[in-house]
Amino acid sequence: MRRQKQWPLRPLLAYSFCSSAAERVSNSTAAAATVAFPLKHVTRSNFEKTLNDLRALVKAADFVAIDLEMTGVTSAPWRDSLEFDRYDVRYLKVKDSAEKFAVVQFGVCPFRWDARTQSFVSHPQNFFVFPRQELTFDPPAHEFLCQTTSMDFLAKYQFDFNTCIHEGISYLSRRQEEEASKRLETLYREEGIDSSGETEDLKLVRLADVLFAERMKNMLNEWRTGLLNGGNVSSESPRISNESTRSTETVFHQMRPALSLKGFTSHQLRVINSVLGKHFGDLVYIHSNDKSSCSQDFVVYTESESDKENLMKEAKDERKRVGERKIQSAIGFRQVIDLLASEKKLIVGHNCFLDIAHVYSKFVGPLPSTAEKFVASINSHFPYIVDTKILLNVNPMLHQRMKKSSTSLSSAFSSLCPQIEFSSRSSDSHLQQRVKIDVEVDNFRCSNWNAGGKHEAGYDAFMTGCIFAQACNHLGFDFTQHSQSDNLAHNEKLEKYINRLYLSWTRGDIIDLRTGHSNADNWRVSKFKYENIVLIWNFPRKLKAREIKECICKAFGSVSVISVYHIDDSAVFLLFKNSELVWDFLKLKRQLESSDGPVSVLHPLSKILEGGNTGAADYEAYKEICSSHISEILFSDQAETVGVKSRTRPDPQDETDRREESTVAVTHKSSDLIDAFLANRVEVETATTN
Amino acid sequence: MQRRFLSSICATAGNSKTLNQGRWSVKQVKKSNFHVTLDKIRASIDSSDFIALSLQNTGSYAAAWHRVSAIDTPQTSYLKAKYAAERYQILQFALCPFSLQGSKLTVHPYNFHLFPRDELKCGMPSYSFSCQASRLTSMAREGFDFNTCIYEGISYLSRAQESASKFLSGNPILADPIAVSSSSPATVADTVFVGRIRSRVKNWRKSCVESSIKTGDDDLVSSLRRLVLGSEQYGSRLCLTIDVCSERQVQLILEMLTEFSEDVVPLLIASKSRGTQAVRTVFMSSKEDKDLFKRELQDLENKENRRVRGFREVIDLISSSQKPIISQNYLSDLTSIHAKFLGPLPANVDDFSSSLSSAFPNVVDLSQFMKEISPLSNISNLPAAMSSLNRFFAPVDVEVANQGSPVKLSESYQSHGQNAVMISQLFAKLRTIQKSDLSTEDFQALASDEHESSITSCSKNAGDENVKVWSKNSRRVSSENLVFIWGLAKKMTAANLKNALQKSHPVFAQEFDVKYLDKSCAIVVFWESGPSETFLSAVNNEEQLCGSLREMVAEGLRAAGYETYKKACRLGFWEADLAESLDKTLESSDTDPDTDSNPSEIDWSNDLAINFYEL
Repeated sequence: MRRQKQWPLRPLLAYSFCSSAAERVSNSTAAAATVAFPLKHVTRSNFEKTLNDLRALVKAADFVAIDLEMTGVTSAPWRDSLEFDRYDVRYLKVKDSAEKFAVVQFGVCPFRWDARTQSFVSHPQNFFVFPRQELTFDPPAHEFLCQTTSMDFLAKYQFDFNTCIHEGISYLSRRQEEEASKRLETLYREEGIDSSGETEDLKLVRLADVLFAERMKNMLNEWRTGLLNGGNVSSESPRISNESTRSTETVFHQMRPALSLKGFTSHQLRVINSVLGKHFGDLVYIHSNDKSSCSQDFVVYTESESDKENLMKEAKDERKRVGERKIQSAIGFRQVIDLLASEKKLIVGHNCFLDIAHVYSKFVGPLPSTAEKFVASINSHFPYIVDTKILLNVNPMLHQRMKKSSTSLSSAFSSLCPQIEFSSRSSDSHLQQRVKIDVEVDNFRCSNWNAGGKHEAGYDAFMTGCIFAQACNHLGFDFTQHSQSDNLAHNEKLEKYINRLYLSWTRGDIIDLRTGHSNADNWRVSKFKYENIVLIWNFPRKLKAREIKECICKAFGSVSVISVYHIDDSAVFLLFKNSELVWDFLKLKRQLESSDGPVSVLHPLSKILEGGNTGAADYEAYKEICSSHISEILFSDQAETVGVKSRTRPDPQDETDRREESTVAVTHKSSDLIDAFLANRVEVETATTN
Repeated sequence: MQRRFLSSICATAGNSKTLNQGRWSVKQVKKSNFHVTLDKIRASIDSSDFIALSLQNTGSYAAAWHRVSAIDTPQTSYLKAKYAAERYQILQFALCPFSLQGSKLTVHPYNFHLFPRDELKCGMPSYSFSCQASRLTSMAREGFDFNTCIYEGISYLSRAQESASKFLSGNPILADPIAVSSSSPATVADTVFVGRIRSRVKNWRKSCVESSIKTGDDDLVSSLRRLVLGSEQYGSRLCLTIDVCSERQVQLILEMLTEFSEDVVPLLIASKSRGTQAVRTVFMSSKEDKDLFKRELQDLENKENRRVRGFREVIDLISSSQKPIISQNYLSDLTSIHAKFLGPLPANVDDFSSSLSSAFPNVVDLSQFMKEISPLSNISNLPAAMSSLNRFFAPVDVEVANQGSPVKLSESYQSHGQNAVMISQLFAKLRTIQKSDLSTEDFQALASDEHESSITSCSKNAGDENVKVWSKNSRRVSSENLVFIWGLAKKMTAANLKNALQKSHPVFAQEFDVKYLDKSCAIVVFWESGPSETFLSAVNNEEQLCGSLREMVAEGLRAAGYETYKKACRLGFWEADLAESLDKTLESSDTDPDTDSNPSEIDWSNDLAINFYEL
């Protein structure tokens, strides 16, 4: 599951380390021979402005490349992509990763074809993101996981954690926003009920309170009488107390005469409120938050009962408005995602299934429980996604052009776009084939730079976009003929690559995000007969795969086991020849465990069962274990915690149901699989139920 | 005892207005200056009488009910602290060895920046850790430098991890002589295997002996011979590598090699994944050579260990000094220290106490100490706690003894680690107050007698301290008299809920109390034993269920006793809502008897330490 990305260590030139700068356009290193890569860094201080600019850029763009940096990838070693992961298990692992880790940087790079200069103009933006809790009435304690190796990796590329945590833009997912609004609504409704009862609750027990209440009563009475009799509401304070810390002043609140209270403690204010409730029917206590979020307290004079109600309602509505504004501003970075979704632009990523899963879980809502539900849902948010890694591996022509070099982001970039990486436009013999790409940041356009930038999400998004533009060019896409009305996403040359992502790159599994497509089920092909797999954990730690295989072969015959595969030190997968052997094994294991006789000691399996803690279960248990939100480091601990300990053979009825359900097609080499898949000629054969 | 007074800032403690940040200059220790500072730290610890410490973690509790509260027994408090200690990471470790003479407090403050670095690429010291976003934000507000911490933090391995990492460093290790003793009966295959290896070792040894006699050869001839014989060298010594496929074979080879123990030393070569990959036999030219070789290996191992141990070296220094440790948050600090630097936390609090006391025999829980002197003070806010002691006359002069340069206020990072100094200061103040009460002249005697007793009382009640709520209305309640209720159809205040319950069942005619533990679950406290059982059986019994209680149950009300809560903690169902956890516990089939099934007492107070506006 580790993303196949490697960045060559480029010499860092005059890297100025600045931790708190809100906006750092790194083209300031003028002393260098060429300009450093212009990349716009966005934090919460310049977010609003950038967002406004970005709206126009995205609207005009032909496609938008994205890239994410996270705090980790796998929450436990066994959560990595394994040989025996079925597509549904694989999805569960990606889901776990997206739910547990945080996104710390989000690169967005809109690309627009400029017919005038015959080149693409890109606008790389690097957003620092941090899940800061902005709303006080939000659910408690948002938590995320950090994988130590990932943090080290980020540190190696001089990721600025201070900027991220101090200045990162926060966000709310759509679901979170709905929930926050709902909570605000409830608070708003409850307020009316509580305010009547609350004042009576306060009993003045302490002598100090009684005296204070009496003093306040006199003061308020004096003020009220003065107000009614004199009629001349002087702005001069009727009672400036000797102590400078506390003051009352006559002001106007919502067109009504009011006494502004300053320097009182919240307890004193409660006492004042209770005094008002008991003795003054026409005076109302109002607590308000003004725009600069500093709170003010007033005692307001109302002329009648209806006027009083109006005032209370106004105050309540005002509080609600403040709450709504807070929610609006807490949405933060999600506005960028909403922008991408609403413009329905082609989204370009590199090996981006995990990225998309993160986008979904952070900005839309909790990830659906199954891959099928995810596919059904993602389309309505992001209708067009293209993965450059798919493009480079699946298209035979591009695959050949890559000359067998790795399709990791950086090496794909250097083999497809050397002119951009090395700024060597003139000497390139294939110049005709190269797409020209300019970078524009803050109206500063530049076509020549030193690419020795450090690795950041914004730069990675830029590289991804360049690869895509170049790949389109190789596919025979003529940008010069291309007009603004054409949508790249609808181009027939790209059609068969769009909305297909690698569910697992190492295994070559592809997920098809198109809904209602006739072959939408084809991505769920499987390499193995999963019903032939048994999971064993907590066997004696010193046993190696080969020894386990020997034990099993002694008990079930030399050809019974096809392979043994380590999940981690504490667990293995056993691939049996057929599913009967799975149940035989589980049955035998239980028999041996229940008997204490000499048979259980001398039996070949006793070596595996030694210690008495060995657990075994079928493949469905593995799925159950992966779906748990717990992540123990060792698989055996995980299995025990999730509690599939006693599970052996399910009911026969249950078992047949499951088998009928599972449709398994077998193709062996991953490249075959991809070709076959794209040509829609994967043979789907039902697993023979023996 | 020699002390360096290069800088000293004296201030009379207790004046809270001077208690601003950055008052003392604290030595900041990172990866780069860790090894050079280590000797100074050792000297500081040696010259001090007490060690104050304070930790900065990436989080404290994930949900409201995960916080240790008044309803917790020592065991549940411990389980809560354990859960947090295992999830969160220590980013800063402030250490302040200090000594107290009269009213003079001499402190040696250090602040270590820690970051777990997976240097051996094996998921140690930690594979991943949790962060609370709000905690990181508030750390940021205090000026915490995350870049320094992550780029330059000192890594470490716990004691348990260090012994596990021996095999992972890739260095050959001396075969453990103890492992050579026992053996199961040999099979035919074993005999054949041993015979084959024996003849191979014999031949090799013979050639070694021969080559060591022929010393007249020049380099070319000897290297040619080596080439022809196919022998390898380990350093300057000749060796033979025997590949093995199982630990059983390792065992057999080691047993066989005892025949050659005079001049052959076996080394184990660990494989990358697990277990032993090969046995390497090294030829020794003489007895002296053998001793030298073993010493070399030992040195190599020690060096390697020191490298991987990292910050734990400091923990070992503290532990071996046996000096009393002063901690503000006893349970959370010491579970964290145990989990990160000693080994995995045991499942119950008694094992934890005994495991901890083997490493740190004297730990003073400052909050406990504080309560003895000033029962109403809140320890969680150090400056406030300090000023609450103002009514006592207890001047304390602070002298910083380990800093080379005076405080530069511009360097804000110098301010990290102030807490440990404040803890030592608070401790000094409390000691002075305690001393004046006793009017004992001999301070040292006090330190040895009186103090030990307060320590033992602390360690005896390990984890127990949070159960007590010091309030005038506090009452002791048996945990049997508590009932958890959740699944209420509509949101109710505690008062409304109490009213509703009063109408629902005759058992509520007696005096009882209701409090919310989090937004999903409330607790009902009966003052006498008996009604809780009656109520629980009424809720779970079809026939007894009638009236408005039946209505409430039909709307989703559920109830459970304290056992269920304890089980939820024990099984680790740390859901965000307590109601979820209790539901899951009731569903779980696990029926393991609880080790700690005796009803325990808790202190109930009207003024429970849970503030619902904070939730």
